[in-house]
Amino acid sequence: MKIASRIGAAVLALCMTASLAAGCSAAPDTSAAAGAAHPDGWVETLRLEGGTDWGAPNPFQCQSRGPGTAKMELVYASLLEKDETGDIGWLAESWTVDGKDYTFTLRQGAAFQDGEPLTTDDAAFTIDYYNAHPPVSNPLAAGTDACILESYTVVDERTITLTVKAPDGDTLTSLGSFEILPRHIWESVDDPYTYTGEGWLTGSGAYACTVYDGPTGSYEFTAVDDFCAGTPAAGRIQFVPVSDALLAFENGEIDITSVPADLLDTYRADESLGFVEKANDMGYKLLINFEECPEFLDIALRQAVYAALDRQAVVDKVFRGAGSVGSAGYVPRSSLYYSPDCVEYPYDPDAARAALADKGLSVTLLAADSGSDVAIAELIQIDLEAAGVEVTVESYDSATRDSMVNAGDYQFALVGNGGWGNNPPTYLRTIFSDISKNQGGNPHSMGPIGYENAAITALAEGQRTETDFEARKAMFQQLQVLISQEIPLIVIANQSSYSMYRKDYYDGWMKTYAYQQAEQNRLSYMLR
Amino acid sequence: MGKAIRKGWGPLLLLCAGLLILTLFFAWGALAWPCSPTQPSGDSLEAPGPAHWLGTDDLGIDIYAQLSRGFFSSMGLGLACGALTALIGGGLGMLAGYKGGGVQAAVDLAVQVFLAVPQLPVLIVLGAFWGQDRRLVIGLIAAFSWAPVAKQTAAKTRSAAHRTYVQAARSWGANSWYILKNHLAADVLPVVLVGALAVVGKAILQESALAYLGLSDPTAKSWGLMINRASRFAGIYFTDYWKWWLAAPVAALMLTILFTRLLARWLEQRLLEGSV
Repeated sequence: MKIASRIGAAVLALCMTASLAAGCSAAPDTSAAAGAAHPDGWVETLRLEGGTDWGAPNPFQCQSRGPGTAKMELVYASLLEKDETGDIGWLAESWTVDGKDYTFTLRQGAAFQDGEPLTTDDAAFTIDYYNAHPPVSNPLAAGTDACILESYTVVDERTITLTVKAPDGDTLTSLGSFEILPRHIWESVDDPYTYTGEGWLTGSGAYACTVYDGPTGSYEFTAVDDFCAGTPAAGRIQFVPVSDALLAFENGEIDITSVPADLLDTYRADESLGFVEKANDMGYKLLINFEECPEFLDIALRQAVYAALDRQAVVDKVFRGAGSVGSAGYVPRSSLYYSPDCVEYPYDPDAARAALADKGLSVTLLAADSGSDVAIAELIQIDLEAAGVEVTVESYDSATRDSMVNAGDYQFALVGNGGWGNNPPTYLRTIFSDISKNQGGNPHSMGPIGYENAAITALAEGQRTETDFEARKAMFQQLQVLISQEIPLIVIANQSSYSMYRKDYYDGWMKTYAYQQAEQNRLSYMLR
Repeated sequence: MGKAIRKGWGPLLLLCAGLLILTLFFAWGALAWPCSPTQPSGDSLEAPGPAHWLGTDDLGIDIYAQLSRGFFSSMGLGLACGALTALIGGGLGMLAGYKGGGVQAAVDLAVQVFLAVPQLPVLIVLGAFWGQDRRLVIGLIAAFSWAPVAKQTAAKTRSAAHRTYVQAARSWGANSWYILKNHLAADVLPVVLVGALAVVGKAILQESALAYLGLSDPTAKSWGLMINRASRFAGIYFTDYWKWWLAAPVAALMLTILFTRLLARWLEQRLLEGSV
């Protein structure tokens, strides 16, 4: 059924291409067309690797992974944004906090890309609409039991007060992160998950979507004139399909790309190139569906799985040495929040065989069909079979794998995603808390199914209300130790990567305090 | 030997020798080579050397051992597809050509339908549903290969069935099975054989294409999957790794398909067209 939907979606996407192009081509007034003088640092076009359909760039139809939501966030804007050190104003020019009340004041001139003014009425409508139709990226947890909002009050056209149920250390960031919808478009839309009519890609962000072609994974975003929160750094951002990203970079077809670990030293010698380091930001975990595999509720078997896996081989062979064996407490070793007290599980095939060989276990391992995922899955298969567990690997494209994981349609699942280096590691709550996990479809919420742990849940939820940095950090560390002892899932390894770009062409790539993927950060595309 | 070559059998000997050498080379790799095609036996991406004639892949698994496993896997699949095609295409073709009338019309319609359907796109869609099962891949490829064989077999059967000795046998009371077996088979079987042999090479290529597209067992040691894995390795063309990891399965695939295709072509000319 998943594949059927995927193929159906592809056919539908093919049929819709013409209408999409037509819809996108009704572009707003943009600077690329205006031909005005441009400030230093501005470039006409930034080109990045495309070729994958990350969904339509609107809050309901983008893919839940970083490349999908990042494209949506170019088109849509939220109240706040993140820079290198903290939250900054985006559509909101100022904000105040008073107990449970967070009051935001919108910037003068805030507008949607079709010219309609953006007011607090749109923000209020968006909250109600998200409660009825939760978006893909859902920082408010709207429409769920975990919704952080209690109510809102529209003070005037530019001022709105959001009242939360219980303020915590992440509340301001969460409130500032939801993308505001144009009421005049969406108030008449009953099903936003399939809507492709007038204004379906109209946001209030710095860039408008002028081309979206799902089947080829092509996107073009064109800078919007008079964006209220800053100046776009490029006239256009294009995501172009390429057969080999490194060849395309060498040929000047794209302006930034990942550097393979084998070639890092070679490229490092080129002084015209700039680099963005993403230390241990990518990570792979092995999820166990305990409802399908109840035998693994026995912690001795989970410990044996850890012992069976030569995780250093994943780092050496698949990551080519660029990474580290994952901490069993989940948070990468390079993180500020990492706890050195986590239990270590060294590779011990003899112990694994002793624990697993006579159990007659047989599992199916779900993986994505990309090169790294299949290679890691194969290593896991080799190791587990050596320990006496029969493993069948099934691979699907990343989107299908994600939907199967979210539906619980797996026994073992290998999930890789970026963002493990986020600070603070709030994903510990959304992955491990029995209250918050498996909601929203994001890889940062894919937790163990059929497994509950009250102590982990209490810590994962409890850290939110702790506002003292050191105390909260201690809670995160205690949580990691507990996770490493209880093993709700198996952490495989973290991968470090580098992006390289030509400094003399464009040098605006940045990492936020919370997210290292420069290509996915909005401020990377703004003049600063 | 010289006489044989003068009579036009030289190309056949060369092609058979080539296939035999390939088979022996890979048989050694599958049966006598100490490295496993599924377990790491060396360092990651080791260059070709005495311990690993064709080097290792990223996981440290011996390339020669994988290629050898892949050869018999691909050949097995190709031969299975060929046999299935001969059975379906030959059987239906003979039936249609001999019986004529409504049976012929029905088979002709099915042949036209299967000839008109674009094969690879349909295989990709069906492979997306069921492709990770090898038996289904064989069935799918055979399902899209029998029609040309059936068409040629039916034409040949029709032509042979009108010969006087067949008519005479029929008038003396011979039943259909007797006629098919004793009078038509000798004329028709070369057509079926050539058609089936052509399918062997095509099936190997199609299976590799499906595997390359990820529509097969993701950890199987097939050539298509080896090419897929190697070509997806970031920056492979800027390193030396492609020289053994990528070039080896590409060369093996090309040589095998070249030999089987040329052999099928030679047989077609020799047996069906009466020339070399």
